[in-house]
Amino acid sequence: MIWLTWRQFRVQALTALAILAAAAICLLVTGLRMHHTYAADLATCTPRHDCSDALSAFGKSYSSAFNLTELLVIAAPGLIGIFWGAPLIGRELETGTNQLAWTQSVTRSRWLAVKLAGVGIASIATAAVLSYLLTWWAGPLDQINGNRFAAMTFSSRDIVPLAYAVFAFALGTTAGLLLRRTLPAMAVTLAVFVGIQILVPTLIRPNLLPSTTVTFPVNKTTASQATGIYTSGGGAEIYIAGLPVPPGAWVISAPPVEDSSGQAVAAYNHLNCFPGTSGPPTKGTGIDVDQTAACLAAYHLHQSVTYQPARYYWPLQWYETGIFLALAGALSCISFWWIRRRRT
Amino acid sequence: MNAVLQAHALGKSYGQRQALTDCTLEIPLGHVVGLVGPNGAGKTTLLKIACGMLAPTTGRIEVLGEPPAAGPAQLARVGYVAQDTPTYASLSVADHLKLGAKLNPRWDANLARARIDQLDLDPRQRAGKLSGGQRAQLALTVAVAKRPELLILDEPVASLDPLARRDFLRHLMESVAENDTSVILSSHLVSDLERVCDYLIVLVASRVLLTGETEDLLAQHHRIVCSRRQATDLPPELDVIWAEHTDRQSTFIVRSQTEVPAGYWSAQHLELEDLVLAYMESAADRGRRPTTHPTGDAR
Repeated sequence: MIWLTWRQFRVQALTALAILAAAAICLLVTGLRMHHTYAADLATCTPRHDCSDALSAFGKSYSSAFNLTELLVIAAPGLIGIFWGAPLIGRELETGTNQLAWTQSVTRSRWLAVKLAGVGIASIATAAVLSYLLTWWAGPLDQINGNRFAAMTFSSRDIVPLAYAVFAFALGTTAGLLLRRTLPAMAVTLAVFVGIQILVPTLIRPNLLPSTTVTFPVNKTTASQATGIYTSGGGAEIYIAGLPVPPGAWVISAPPVEDSSGQAVAAYNHLNCFPGTSGPPTKGTGIDVDQTAACLAAYHLHQSVTYQPARYYWPLQWYETGIFLALAGALSCISFWWIRRRRT
Repeated sequence: MNAVLQAHALGKSYGQRQALTDCTLEIPLGHVVGLVGPNGAGKTTLLKIACGMLAPTTGRIEVLGEPPAAGPAQLARVGYVAQDTPTYASLSVADHLKLGAKLNPRWDANLARARIDQLDLDPRQRAGKLSGGQRAQLALTVAVAKRPELLILDEPVASLDPLARRDFLRHLMESVAENDTSVILSSHLVSDLERVCDYLIVLVASRVLLTGETEDLLAQHHRIVCSRRQATDLPPELDVIWAEHTDRQSTFIVRSQTEVPAGYWSAQHLELEDLVLAYMESAADRGRRPTTHPTGDAR
């Protein structure tokens, strides 16, 4: 059974291996050079010499390669689901070869188990290699960007890509088994996987762990810690930018400035605090931070910021990994149940 | 245990459609069984249930004394060649033999190789490039080299030309004779089965109409031609299967456990094909006119 699984998976496995090898060579070559440059740039940083310009230029020069690699690591699990998962059983059912396989002296549960385990392990290994490569390669860039929680960054580093790969593979396999056709199974896998990749970072991940909310009164003290005040929505909302949150924290939400009853405050109701502007001020107008804040302080306004502290990075990685592994397990159970009970 | 297949009140429905109804069967060991019936009669459904591909909706079935596909041991005792003889298009002939060797404990590698040589198949050829007849032969080789006690073949010759058909059946009979295997094979053409089967099951419109050893069935059935009369005028020991009337004479096909007595008729034995057709036609008539003739005009 192991031989048959390998024999049927051989072409796909070798294709993936070729792509992986090419990606690894590219990343190793550019990565070694990048790490070298980064170390050199860092060496110029002394208390007397500000190196932030050099570092941001460094970051910019790699930004397209960076985005491309991140995209590859995020897309890989989806491709695994589509090209490894969906045809695994879908094609057998489509061409009727399951009738040949299921009437050899091997129960179909064992047949499914070996296939799931074999190709599943290959999926994990592929995702692991890609994730490890990217995490190493992008190390200096992640240091400069400083935000490990950005949706694309979090989803393509460390352990979550492995869980995505297992999940996508189980999703494709189950879709193939239930739909009995390869192409529709591929389409369903793609749609569901993309949907989940949008849903999880926006709705699920921020709520996995309790977040922290800090409230800043709008006054001169707060303004001195912030980087600016700006308005948006044609003056309907006021924001204070750059409020002091712990370094590396993931800001989940920062609603506009509110009054004591929790209502958003419109800038055009306080035009006197925004001197030098006629009509509602808009973003980018040169507002003097200290003066405006001092003026607004009389109205007892506040701005709150909700964030996940930086130390939640690994717990969140593990939680999300657990969730996707559990989903993959549930899908596999459905497959086993279906293949045993429903007998196609 | 001396039955290859025992079914009791077996039924299978797909939603509203009844594919197999109240099928009770007991097929003794050591026969080559022909399962005949028109297209869509439920032959494939019955065979798929027998090899464990499908679970029945109602009733019980045992194949070689165990429920189908009960475990690796039961699976090893039954060989199955599905309709259209599916094979892995991207795998070579040699790969298929290796597949059989890896997945079956009783695999007979010598037999498999000998058959492939005899058929003049190139072991390196991909199965997807084989002709329909060669593919059927390859599928049969995999099933036979498994050394099953029962071989189930679903319309194995349907897609073959007459020459390939004869070859296939000849090879089948050779290996069956060598290994003392029981066989169940289905076809909608009686002529395919006539030469090879010594046991017959007629399945029409999801129901089993007739089972028995071919010889007995041929001995029991007669065509009676007489001057025009009703079926009820015939002696009661003659079970009328089918009737046809012209202005002046009536033709009946009857079943009788004893020799047909001499009388006002001429009685002849039947060809197997005519016998099966009589059952199929009378069932079709019953299906067409269920209200006015509840038992059909054959009775």
